Amino acid sequence: MRQATREYKFDWMLWASFATAARLRDGSEKEYRTALRYLPYFRGIVDALLQVGAPGREFLALCAAYFENLLTAREKGRKTAITTFCFSPTILYALDIVPVCLELLSGIMCLAYRRGTGEFLDYCNALGFTETSCSSQRGALGGFLAGLGSEIDMVVTDTPGVCDTNANAFAFASAYLKKPFFQLDYPPVLVDARTDAYQREDYRALVRFLEEQSGTRLDPDRLREVLVAAQAQDEMIAELEELARLVPNPLPSCFNFMIYAGRFLFAGMPECTRLLESMLAVVRANAARGASGLTSGDERLRAFFCYIDHFTQNMRLWLMLDELGIGYVGNILGRPWGPAAPYVRALGKEEAAYTIATTDLDALLDGVASLNSRMPMVKSIRGPYDAPNMWLEDTLALAKMYAADFIVYNGTPGCRNTWGMVKLLARDTEKAGFPTHIMYGDAFDDRVQSWESTRERFEEFLAVRRLLP
Amino acid sequence: MSTDWMEAAVLLENRFVTEWKGAGKKVVGYTCSYLPDEVFHAAGILPYRLRGYGAEECSIGDTYFGPFICSLPKCMLQLAGEGRLRFLDGAIITPGCDSMRRLDECWRKAGEDYAGIVPPFFFHFAVPHKLADYTLRWFAGEIRRLIAAVEEHFHVAVSDARLAQAIGVYNRGRALMRELDGLRTMPDPPLTGTEALAVILAGTAMARDVYNAELASWIEEARRRTARCGNRMRVMLVGSANDDVELVRLIEGDRALVVADNLCFSSRFHLDPVSEEGDPVEALAQAYLRKNECPRMYGQYDARLALLREKIASARVEGVILQNIRFCDLHGAENGLFERHLEADGITCMRVEREYGPLVEKGRLRIRVDAFLERIARKRGATAREATAREATAREATAREATAREAITRGVGAREATVPGVAAEGAGTPGTTGQGVAAPGAGGRRVRT
Repeated sequence: MRQATREYKFDWMLWASFATAARLRDGSEKEYRTALRYLPYFRGIVDALLQVGAPGREFLALCAAYFENLLTAREKGRKTAITTFCFSPTILYALDIVPVCLELLSGIMCLAYRRGTGEFLDYCNALGFTETSCSSQRGALGGFLAGLGSEIDMVVTDTPGVCDTNANAFAFASAYLKKPFFQLDYPPVLVDARTDAYQREDYRALVRFLEEQSGTRLDPDRLREVLVAAQAQDEMIAELEELARLVPNPLPSCFNFMIYAGRFLFAGMPECTRLLESMLAVVRANAARGASGLTSGDERLRAFFCYIDHFTQNMRLWLMLDELGIGYVGNILGRPWGPAAPYVRALGKEEAAYTIATTDLDALLDGVASLNSRMPMVKSIRGPYDAPNMWLEDTLALAKMYAADFIVYNGTPGCRNTWGMVKLLARDTEKAGFPTHIMYGDAFDDRVQSWESTRERFEEFLAVRRLLP
Repeated sequence: MSTDWMEAAVLLENRFVTEWKGAGKKVVGYTCSYLPDEVFHAAGILPYRLRGYGAEECSIGDTYFGPFICSLPKCMLQLAGEGRLRFLDGAIITPGCDSMRRLDECWRKAGEDYAGIVPPFFFHFAVPHKLADYTLRWFAGEIRRLIAAVEEHFHVAVSDARLAQAIGVYNRGRALMRELDGLRTMPDPPLTGTEALAVILAGTAMARDVYNAELASWIEEARRRTARCGNRMRVMLVGSANDDVELVRLIEGDRALVVADNLCFSSRFHLDPVSEEGDPVEALAQAYLRKNECPRMYGQYDARLALLREKIASARVEGVILQNIRFCDLHGAENGLFERHLEADGITCMRVEREYGPLVEKGRLRIRVDAFLERIARKRGATAREATAREATAREATAREATAREAITRGVGAREATVPGVAAEGAGTPGTTGQGVAAPGAGGRRVRT
């Protein structure tokens, strides 16, 4: 790791950058344009976000608030927990623990850093972590292992049984940093009595662990408040998802990223609510006008990403889609699987949705356990890809429902789980009539395949399959 | 080494399997050591540990799996696709790791293209990743689900009594495995690591009662051996699954001896007995789920490190080879931690990534192993030199003392005695070299007699 990289705490750097960026639009246009010149590597993402108006500003402010929470946790007497995007942070907020979502941090670092997370990824390898492991955790994790992040108190994950590579990163972090570790473990079936019973008991064990580590007793009223807010947010997301069914899709391309980032960072918290409200205002207005969310206003194609997005610097994935006139109709990360979700209702998949009752603590714990078991990956890749409620069923249903013209798989080479079945999935989606593109790059590491090369292959796919004239 | 056993270790369809099938009995393959073999033994079915050994290419494996996947399940799929596992009447896929659990789908989908390669009984057997009262309950439920499926498909009854009898048979095998481990860890073992692996592998492909009888007599024979392995460097093999005796042979050569291991296809899962008291299903759940030697049981690193340290001490291991198959992140990452901690303990370690299957990387591995053994040899040399130096120092001190005593006895002035090193080491220390022996300023080396 270069000395220059070691000079500053990475989370402090990100807080300073996002906090400043969130205020850039407070001045005049001229001041804004002048200020951008002083953000040589970061201005692409800042400008792209601020172009979409109030939601962009809210999003930058949300990121800044998240980093501020992390940086000030100690002085406010709050504990911190390294966790994953597959884990709902609601329970952590209910116990006043600051969630440190590694994948989101890695994604944000990739978008903002000139060299992405390369040095942090390599730092992990230097310590003995495998280079073939998933880059989504490894980026931000490298920062913490190098002592360049805030103090961590515990490690909490829920990917054993879902994604071993992911779970392994958290186990490594716990062993290396010598921090207490808790894993929620998932059986391969989403819905059955045995699974439900197992998940309920496992979740209660998690709560006991968190109470012990944080020294805080779970307050049912606080949990209720967070869960009610999280459910209200999921209802807002459901409205956005419903509106995304319109042709043209009124959501700007980058909104999907903002939805899931907001949810993974601040589920059940006012920051996420403010972001979603501002997004809804834009999308409702677009829908009322019958306008596309694309800059050109001309939606030529609709793409469904069956796994994750590409977090190359400065949001170039979303900008490319926008430039090519491709309406983005979502991926598996953005789907909360709440009872109000359009796909739950339209497909009659009520059993696949979480349910929350707020009557007493037991009901609340069952509810949050159920919500957690519908988080990305936990919901759809815990079992065989062609089993009920799993990856193939979800992908085909969503692609059809959102009238996608094609499907894209993008992940990381470290994703043993999806690479173990993506060829089978693509064969089935092709048979179902969806041209399917498998991207061989790394969503978090441009060194595996440069963005330019990734884009070229993407456009080649569109040309070869005659999707774009 | 018994030819039959070596055959069982290196041939998919060995003599024991052929005879078993010839008698009209069933064989079920499984992928992971967390599956209780006893269930199948109790059902009169041969539990057969699936391997990828013998795959000479991976074209079928690569067709269904993606590129960033461990070559072990790919080789298994290759063998299945080539029809070399057609003797199986069933297969159980277990989520040992992500690559392995996706063998479930890849095998089934390959079956759509290659007729008849998917055994009629195909079962996904889930195993929790941690030990708690509720995970044990769930796992016992999963074993019962498996039993019910086996009973229904094969029209057999797996009663508690038969399960208890099977547990007894397997416990006898475990006791023998402990004896085998005892032989391996002796100061001058009568068997090589290559032989030990062949013996263990044979146990994954033959009926346990037959195996127990053969193993007992083989152990007796091994005890009687006069030719021993001598003063080879004592090595431990740790990490990803290895079912290739040739890998161990390559490591051992004529200089090393694999005296202990912590591997999936090896003794680690056969050592602890299953309780023969109470409900047999619960006993099986307890025994199998409490094993935490595999990194799939997350958050147990410290326990695994302690286990390695214990084995290293008891087997007098001089060096540890930490290997992982490429894309095996679970072992790969943990090996990184082991290397840090064991090297800090003063244990020579070698961390190596390899491909599963035929030793395509033989040359590279040979070079790495040679360098590793060289490190151990140097350490031995250094230790020997240190011991020699210590002995020399002790001899010198004794000689000095004797000379001084003699000088005193003769009444000759100590100043005139030539006593090497006296002043430097004994100056001002009456009683060590005799009174007034050292001469200040004499450099401590030479005193005129």
